[in-house]
Order: sequence, then structure tokens, then C-alpha cells
Amino acid sequence: MSLTNPPSTATGPGSVSAARTQTLKRSVQAAFEDPTGRGTGSMGYQSKVRVTDRYKVIGFISSGTYGRVYKALGRHGQPGEFAIKKFKPDKEGEQASYTGISQSAVREMALCSELNHGNVIRLVEIILEDKCIFMVFEYAEHDLLQIIHHHTQQPRHPIPPSTIKSIMFQLLNGCQYLHTNWVLHRDLKPANIMVTSGGEVKIGDLGLARLSYKPLHSLYGGDKVVVTIWYRAPELLLGSRHYTPAIDMWAVGCIFAELLSLRPIFKGEEAKMDSKKTVPFQRNQMQKIVDIMGLPTKERWPLLTSTTEYSQLSTLQPPIHHGGHHHGHHYQSQRQAAAANAAVSHLEKWYYNTINQQTGGSGPGSGTSPLASLGAEGYKLLAGLLEYDPERRLTAAAALQHPFFSTGDPVSANCFEGLKTEYPHRRVSQDDNDIRTSSLPGTKRSGLPDDSLRPGKRVKEG
Amino acid sequence: MAANYWESTQRKHWQFTKHDLAALRQRLDDEDPGLVQMFPLPQLRHLNIYFNQQINRLGKRLGVRQQAMATAQVYLKRFYTRTAIRQTNPYLVIATALYLACKMEECPQHIRMLTQEARSLWPSDLLGHDPARVGECEFSLISEMHSQLIVHQPYRSLLGVQDEFGLTQDEMSLAWTVINDHYMTDLPLLHPPHVVALTAVLLALVLRPSANATAAGGGGSAGAAAAAAAANAGGVAMAATALAQAQAQVQARAAAIAAAGGGGGAPGFGSQGSQQQAGFSQGNSQGNSQGDGLAAEPKKVTDPRLAKVQRFAAWLADSNIDVEAMVDCTQELISFYECHEQYNDKHTKEQINRFVKARNLDK
Repeated sequence: MSLTNPPSTATGPGSVSAARTQTLKRSVQAAFEDPTGRGTGSMGYQSKVRVTDRYKVIGFISSGTYGRVYKALGRHGQPGEFAIKKFKPDKEGEQASYTGISQSAVREMALCSELNHGNVIRLVEIILEDKCIFMVFEYAEHDLLQIIHHHTQQPRHPIPPSTIKSIMFQLLNGCQYLHTNWVLHRDLKPANIMVTSGGEVKIGDLGLARLSYKPLHSLYGGDKVVVTIWYRAPELLLGSRHYTPAIDMWAVGCIFAELLSLRPIFKGEEAKMDSKKTVPFQRNQMQKIVDIMGLPTKERWPLLTSTTEYSQLSTLQPPIHHGGHHHGHHYQSQRQAAAANAAVSHLEKWYYNTINQQTGGSGPGSGTSPLASLGAEGYKLLAGLLEYDPERRLTAAAALQHPFFSTGDPVSANCFEGLKTEYPHRRVSQDDNDIRTSSLPGTKRSGLPDDSLRPGKRVKEG
Repeated sequence: MAANYWESTQRKHWQFTKHDLAALRQRLDDEDPGLVQMFPLPQLRHLNIYFNQQINRLGKRLGVRQQAMATAQVYLKRFYTRTAIRQTNPYLVIATALYLACKMEECPQHIRMLTQEARSLWPSDLLGHDPARVGECEFSLISEMHSQLIVHQPYRSLLGVQDEFGLTQDEMSLAWTVINDHYMTDLPLLHPPHVVALTAVLLALVLRPSANATAAGGGGSAGAAAAAAAANAGGVAMAATALAQAQAQVQARAAAIAAAGGGGGAPGFGSQGSQQQAGFSQGNSQGNSQGDGLAAEPKKVTDPRLAKVQRFAAWLADSNIDVEAMVDCTQELISFYECHEQYNDKHTKEQINRFVKARNLDK
């Protein structure tokens, strides 16, 4: 940082009417304006392009621990709309200074520059300006969280099966691309799966993604905790040291279930890290999984016993067993029966309850559920993705070959094909709290109040 | 693409012809001819040797892995195709390249720690530098490299062909050293990593690792291979012969294909699969016995070594590897080893420090 840079005041170029800038609400554009003097001196960094010269910011979309996302239009005839992700500069006191770019931002910049696939969000450019990083992406009108949310609005109505099928196919296609390129996404969840107005599914937010090819350290060593808790695979919950693209596939299974039922299938509560920063066993989350999937066994998952939290499994409640009366056999066989029952999966029951419960009309009794058409293949795909043993879990490539996609109506490349209604557009707000003084960490999102109730990802940067 | 070199930004944006590279550098010089005249610099290869050593020194102090140091070397080269050296403080750029490379190679270093180490390593060159300077320089680096930070290294290719050629421990470590050395040349900007790796294998096969070269290896990373190259004019000739042989085979086959009227196909790899495999299995069994012989009696290995080189040449002819690129690579490395003999550390350092001091880049 050049010493010749005068420390700037918070007022931008609009300081003519200083009194007016005292108002709490500032224009979104202000967030992009120059907070400091331009770098000088021979080594001073100066951006060759300015983000406000190239883009006209038209609103605020969301914020997270990383920074904020804005919607923008090109100023020089660049076609389409854009989402600009602004990483908040780390600040020390009043004046922002260069403190080194976070590893996750570096990963996201490098991976997004390298990736190129129809089902992965497309990076347009990266502008480094005034200690801030602006990543410009193609804009997507929707995301899966928003779509699911829309269907929970009264009257609650299921997502059409053709839409679910297309979403799943495109999502798996994007995953296959990432995985064949040794990229683990590590944070797949509905909020990170974008959908364009043309019905194309785009995997977004590669902030946690990383290459898995011959890492210098074991994958466990760097970021101790990955994947938002509800979508976290059992091998991660049990502290397995080596994990694989299979962790993404578990999350895809959870997303499939959520598209069907409109609720997270394993909605656990996250145990917080204690003061010593040891990673706690996520008992509540694991219990939610066991409630539906049954207890994992070493028969179903041979390497189960080598996970660090294996001993914790015995402290979990077996799933609540409905029906199945026991007759008065002697003690030994009762115990065996109980152990066997504890391992029984209730996923099939969950699946058929879910697809048959949801009705398409305006109330119960208005005909069969539209989801019933997904049939037995839907269950098999779900069970293949929610397989306990990561080695036996479906890979993205195998899932794409699943009969689920080849039976019934052909899969459309537009997940909205045939729909009469249009989903509400992403809410974009015109007001923005001043990014220079008030960017407290936390997840905010325009138009979706329930998002703040969802757990955020927690990552300790290594 | 992240795992596929052919789709990578490295291939698309960071692989140049020699002519391109010369033009880029000329353009940088032309930006400020007065500066170039006022501060003459040593020849580029000597400058590269110096930079390479400095990255390794800092990397070793911080306990950084080889892979991250190699990536830092490439960042430095990429950056200086777009920014004139005399406009920068190379010590700051080196420290920053290593800082960034560590993050990319998943072994991050704290910016304070790294800055502290850099300052104690180069106390008079980074006088007024705090972590914020490294942070600022990081913006320059990423910006000039267009955020294209994923680097494909020849090490991975080398590990991939180890079994195919039945390489012994000695051959592997010599090939590894050759790859380490190639970062002191322009080769990372000129040829794909697999071409570099295969060239390193060939040189490892023909340049016998000598006992005294290994002992001298501690001083400079180029020591071992350079000494081997100097003492091994016969080996270099053998490498040239092997490549010529592979090229001749490729050309003969292309001519045969053309004569047979099979148009359109790329030369050199037709339906040779079965023949190629036969060559492999033979190579493996003999490679092992040769490894034993090498350890026991260095003088008797000439014949099995020749056989191994010939099999390598046959394999090359059957692959679609760019043999011409390998010829160029071999020449670059050999001439680098010769040029390394004249390298003067003190002189190089002085010339760099002159412009750093005179232009106040250390402040």
C-alpha cells in the first residue's frame, strides 16, 4: 500500500450534498464507488478497468459472509444481465487495506476461470479494483431454494415431475463435469443451484470447491468442516479422513428429496464448535438421517468402523419403528430382531408417502398426485444417491445413466418446458446499506425471509 | 479445464512460440528504452537462475512443498511477460508469487509470516515492506494473469509414465531434477508439461547419474544434471539419436500411410496398438534387471541403457507426442546447462539491486 494514498473519508464523489449522504439508505451504485484514492507509485496497483465503467448496477440480490451480490447490466452492449459478486475487503479499523485474498476467493477465481460447461455458472470476468474483487457472472433469474419456496406457498403444490426430472438431469450433468475434472463442489444445496429463465440449471457458488487430484495435504487437513449441515454426507458427519466426489452426490440426493417434499429431508441442528475449535460430533444431524435411513451397519458400509466417530453411533436412537408386532420369543432373538430393525431403512416408505401425499389440485381428494408418475425408478435413484457407503453411492456418471431418466417422458433441456405458470422473478432491492461501514457477516437475501433460518456453511480457513 | 491440459487456460493463453515470447519482451523493453539502457540486466537465463534460487530459498525457509514453489516459478514467468522487470521490485514479486501459489496448491502461508521471512531473507531489498505490500502485489499478479492460476506441472506426467518405462529410482530422481531445472528456462511458457516430462525421462535415461554430481547437488538445484550433462557428451548424442530415430519412424509411417492412400489421419499413430504393447512388457522386465546392474556396476550398463533408450524412441514414434517439441526441449536444456556454467550469482544480484535501489523500489 502506498504511503502517498491519503486516507479517504466515507463520502464518495457525491459529497457535494454531504447532509443527504447521512441518510441510512444509499444507492446501490454507491457500493461500487471508489472508497479510497487510486494507487500511485511504481508498484501501486491500479485496475485497468473500472467495474462502474463497464456495468450499471441495478440492484442488490443477496449477501453472505463472503460479501454481496448485485444485479447489473452491461454499459457497452454486453448482452444479457449479470450478477456481480463483490468480495468484501477485510478491514482493519477504519481504512481498508490489502490483507491478502482469502483462500476460498482464490479458489473460486481460479476454478471459475478454468471451468466451462452449460450446467455450471459462467464467469464473465473478474475485476480487481480498490482492494475489492468483483466477479461478474451470467445472471440467473431463479434458484432451487426460490423455486421450492414458491411451491410451499398456499396452496402448497408439488413441483411438476417433468421439472424435477430435468433439474436432476442437469444438476447431475454439471456434477459429472466437475467430478471428471477433479473438482469437488463441497457446498451443493438448493440456494447454490441457479436456474435461468430459459430453464437451464447452473451450479453456482464455487467458494468451497477445490481440486481433489493429489492434494498436497489430505482433504481433511485444510477445511475442517464442509457442506451446509443438512446436506452433509454421513462420512463427513462421522469424521472420515478421506472423502471423495461422493460427498457431492449425497447432497444431490438430499436436493432430490427436497424437490419432492419441498422440505429438507434431514433437517438437523448444527452443534457449534467449542472454544478449543475441536469439531463436535453432529449428533442431531446424524440422528435425522438415521430416523429415515436406519442405522448404518458394517455390512452395508464396510469401512464404517474405521471412521473416527464410529463409537458415537451406538448412542443414537434407532429409528422409530411403526407396526411389526413382536411375538413372545426368547430374549436373544428379540435383541437380534431389534438390531435388524434398527438398520432397516424407511426411505422407501418416506418416498411413497411423499409422492402420493402431494396433490396437484386445490385440496385433498382432487385426484392422484402428479408426482406418482415418478414411480419406482424415482425411489431407486434416490436410494442410490442416499447410499451410506460412499464407495457404493451412485456417481454422477452412473446416475445420469439411471432408468429414471430413460423411462417415461424424455428429459427436457428446459426444466420449465410445458409449464403454464412462470416463477416469480428474483427480488432485487434498490436500497443497500452502506457497504463501507456496515457489512456485518450473516446471510441476507432479497425477498426470501426464510433464508436467514437456514444454516450457513462454516468453514475454518486453513 | 482443471484436470485436462488440452482444455486448460494454460494451453489456451500461456503457451507461446519463441517468436511470440520475444515480441512480448521487446514490447516491454520498448515501453521505456531509457530505463533499459540505464539499468542493464544479465542475460535472461541468468536472471531466471537467480529468481529460481530466491524462490527456493524463501520456500525452504517456510517449509513449502516443491509443487507450490514450481507454481510460483510459473507465476513469476507469466507476470514478467506482461510487466517490465525494472518496473518492479523482483523480491516483492517473488514473495507474492509464492504466497499466491501456496494458496492455490492448498498449503497456505500466513501473509505476516511470509512477509517476515521474506524481509529477513532480503533485509536490504524489502526495507519498507509490510504485508499490505504483498497483498497489493497479489492484486497485480492475479490481474496480469487474468485469474488463470491453475498450473499443470510436468511432475504429475512424470509420475504417470514411471511404470510405463520401468524407471528406476535413480532415473526418476534425475528426471525430477531435470524438471526442477527447466523452471530456470523459458520451457514452461513454450511446451506442454508432458513434453517436458518426457524430455526429462529421456535425459534421465541417457545422462548417467554420477556419484559426485549427486554429492554436489546440495549447492544448486541445477548442479546434478548440469554436471551429468557436462560429463556426458555421449549421452547427449544418444538422446539426439533417439529423437531422430523416433522422428524418422514417424515420417516413414506417415509416408507409408500417404502412399497407401489413407488420408486425413494424423501421422505416426495408426493401428500400432498391439505392437506398442508388446514393446512395453518387454521394456518392463528388462528395465528391472537393468536397475540392479546400474546400482552394482555403473560401467557395464551401456548396452541395457541403449536398449531402454531405443524402446523409449519406439514408444515415442508410436505415440502422438510432438517429437519436434521434444527435440527443441532437449536442446534448450542442454544449452541451459552449458550456460549455467557461466552463471555469476554476485554479478546478477548486483545488477538487480542497482535498479531496485536507484528507483526506490525497496521503500
